[in-house]
Amino acid sequence: MATLIGGLGSSHVPSIGAAMDKGLTQTDDWKPFFDGIGPGRDWVAANRPDVAVVVFNDHGNSFFLDKVPTFAIGCAERYDPIDEGWGPRAIPSFEGHADLGWHVVDRMVENRFDPMIVQEIEVDHGLQVPMELFFGKPETAWPVRVVPVFVNVIQYPIPLPSRCYELGQVLRRAIESFPGDERVVVIGTGGLSHQLQGARAGFTNPEADREFLRDIAANPGRLAALSREDYVRLFGSEGAELMMWLVMRGAMDPEVVVKHSHYYVPASMTGAGMLVLENRAA
Amino acid sequence: MEDRIPDTPLFDRSRQRRGYRLNKMAMGLVDPANRDAFRADEEAYLDRFGLSAEEKQAVRTRNWQEMVRLGGNVFYILKISAISPARMTEIGAHQAGMDHESFLRDRLGKKPAGSQ
Repeated sequence: MATLIGGLGSSHVPSIGAAMDKGLTQTDDWKPFFDGIGPGRDWVAANRPDVAVVVFNDHGNSFFLDKVPTFAIGCAERYDPIDEGWGPRAIPSFEGHADLGWHVVDRMVENRFDPMIVQEIEVDHGLQVPMELFFGKPETAWPVRVVPVFVNVIQYPIPLPSRCYELGQVLRRAIESFPGDERVVVIGTGGLSHQLQGARAGFTNPEADREFLRDIAANPGRLAALSREDYVRLFGSEGAELMMWLVMRGAMDPEVVVKHSHYYVPASMTGAGMLVLENRAA
Repeated sequence: MEDRIPDTPLFDRSRQRRGYRLNKMAMGLVDPANRDAFRADEEAYLDRFGLSAEEKQAVRTRNWQEMVRLGGNVFYILKISAISPARMTEIGAHQAGMDHESFLRDRLGKKPAGSQ
């Protein structure tokens, strides 16, 4: 059976990708963030995952408001990077693990989650940036296959944080019942605190962000019990997407070991973080 | 429309219904042909999506605060900035009612430009 080898967390701020594209990673604005990602890349290199299940939200690129799935699972063999309006970025397409995607869908439905099934879709910075942070930007091919898990955190009603946590628990059982020998990581993406809309635009909350990075490892039940409004109040209207990290966390054991944790604010307008968790018994 | 969390417009039912056409217009800009159409004749492009005079005025003047008030969501309307370049921080500053430098300093804790 496939093995879950770790839970990763990462921001997916598009300007992180743009900074890498433009060679700005050593500028005053960006160096403090990029200086802290090395241990995350080292962990991935040492632990050699075969598959990354990437939990993220589309940002009005692959889904418009005409059709908004609360949860959608990628069951495609390939995902191209999408043109978000500035032209497609020069990164390789992502190879999908369609069989694992379908298997996740089967287990979800049996466990009373009913996702949208997606066989053709392009992926935006929500998936791209975390992949680049952990795996670097390859010339020709990514070292892992991906299973995208799309979560609607833009159009209300967005799902409950507790529901995201429960989805992670189902995802764990799906991974560990998949007939194969794949080594799998789950990447929770988004956040940390930021707000892009309204007069409170530019809001960040470094204290809440640091508490989140601590509690997502040590006390995830507290974070799963918060309301959606709590997330918006604490982390900003767009920072509420942090609840997607709960999907990753729900897939892990109750007790985890923090292998790496990094935080810097601001990355553009956002508190930016990276996290590596292992199950204690692993 | 009163926000439950001050100065924080949630993209709820009333906002997304009100802003549907505006957001659809902006979403169209992921297509290079539509970007060309927007550049060539902005008024005609906006008319294709049935925008009201108020909505068109907000787009034409790149009034981000007003576009959000009319139900625009930043993830969609941001695509206009691929044609008329505006940084996310400038769009944020505009909505906050601050000049860019003050916004960077007071909201994001950045050092003033030129001192870096």
